[in-house]
Amino acid sequence: MKAPVVEIRSLRVRRGGRTVLQVERLEVVEGEVVVVLGPNGAGKSTLLKCALGFTRPNSGEFRVLGHPVWPSAAAPLCALRRRIGYVPQMLAAHSEMPLTVREVAAIGRTGIAGLFRRLTRSDWNIIDDWLERLGLADLAGQAYAGLSSGEQRKTLIAKAMVQQPEMLLLDEPTANLDLFWREQIVDLLQRLHEETGLTILLVCHELEAVPPCCRRLLVLRDGRLIADGPPENVLTRQMVENLYGSRLRLFTADRRYAAVPVGEAFI
Amino acid sequence: MDLLFWAPVVCCGALAGASTGFLGTYIVGMRIPFLGICVSHAALTGAVYGGLCGLTGPMLLPPALAGAVIAALLLGTLDPQSSRIDSNVLMGILFSLTMGLAFLGLGLYGIYDISDNEVRSLLWGSLNFCRWSDFYIMAAAAVLEIVVVAAFYKELRAILFSRVHAAAAGVPVVPVWTALLILTSVVLTVNFQTVGGLMIYSLLTNPAVAAFLLVKGYGKALALSALFGLLSGLGGFLLAAATDLPTGAMIVILSSLLVGLAWAISGLRRRAGR
Repeated sequence: MKAPVVEIRSLRVRRGGRTVLQVERLEVVEGEVVVVLGPNGAGKSTLLKCALGFTRPNSGEFRVLGHPVWPSAAAPLCALRRRIGYVPQMLAAHSEMPLTVREVAAIGRTGIAGLFRRLTRSDWNIIDDWLERLGLADLAGQAYAGLSSGEQRKTLIAKAMVQQPEMLLLDEPTANLDLFWREQIVDLLQRLHEETGLTILLVCHELEAVPPCCRRLLVLRDGRLIADGPPENVLTRQMVENLYGSRLRLFTADRRYAAVPVGEAFI
Repeated sequence: MDLLFWAPVVCCGALAGASTGFLGTYIVGMRIPFLGICVSHAALTGAVYGGLCGLTGPMLLPPALAGAVIAALLLGTLDPQSSRIDSNVLMGILFSLTMGLAFLGLGLYGIYDISDNEVRSLLWGSLNFCRWSDFYIMAAAAVLEIVVVAAFYKELRAILFSRVHAAAAGVPVVPVWTALLILTSVVLTVNFQTVGGLMIYSLLTNPAVAAFLLVKGYGKALALSALFGLLSGLGGFLLAAATDLPTGAMIVILSSLLVGLAWAISGLRRRAGR
């Protein structure tokens, strides 16, 4: 039996006088690719932030990789985060400084190397290896800020992967990307799972961003888990209508999904 | 030129430029240049009240440092999300508050009939009156700067990119960020006493901006920014000596010219690359 990497019991997160996330019970086991779907404001990003200890729940239990995220002191929380790769949602230019792609990827090894220690040759080999595997080797010396959004997203995935994480958390990694880059990222996630067997928790609101390796789909709405199961069971016409309105029709091919507008208004 | 008199002035100008330019890499890199002006004016407030308590000369340094550290820690530790106020707005509030408190203090000098000349000179600085004792204090702050940056070199690089990314990768952001804020307070307060609140702001911003326009990469940007700061401090003094114009103004103008030059070179490079 595979070990659970995420365990949630009676979790409740309240912000600004309203419940933004309420999950009674949830377990994600090692090697699973779980996609969390839901409209804006459903609590998807809050779920990931709770997993990393960035958001403190009001009540309940949240264990990641066997350790409670809350209550947790700063040092154990840092140690836990080093075992989790995280690709956040926002892609705004973070720094005025022209950090190179290689330097941005190196952030992933910074916590692991520890305070008062330099990154070793072995750390830099891991960084260069992941840049090569993700097709970023030619851009290693380029300024991160000068890259396209898709290349930046890939660099952030490289930053997460150089941690050699036990779990990868991605918050809308295809948001604001064109179709070419969306497909590049979906292919990349598929390849990462095939090559490493990594547990992936992917938050998105587009059905098109669900990779074929996803065998479990969670649907959040208004902070509550309304569906949990294989994509073919969860993604029914009724669910798509419930989430996105009645003018969208669900299309499926080779374990990929798309919601396409239909009806008189779109003919 | 009386070399014995001017040698500490030249050394102080060059060191102020190099150490502030070096620090500016982080301040400009994180897009918080207003932190510099905010912290230096909080230092002025500290010095004003120190002076009211009868302190003079180098003894004004501890209250100035206390003001700067309090302001930096307030700005650095307040969470914009929980306070629902953007950090730039917070800096605006704190800046106006520290200036208000400083002017209130200066008003009290008049009421209690105490001379405020020494405290007022802090705003504009007194580079031409720097002595070796000032240089030693500035050198100690520069050594501290090098020690902190060397100790947290890779963590500061991560924080420079994004504090969220750094924290997510397991970097202990809070102690490193606090160390940077305290370092900022120390470097600005020490240099503020000699080169003045207005000039320090240009040395904090311009060398880093010029370096960012010309090079890619963390180490190169740090080194070039420190070099541009040093050139601004040293060149500004030499220009002032040659033209008999105010030293502070020459340093500010030279550092601004460096930004213009770097911007032009960067533009030419972009065109050549097309």
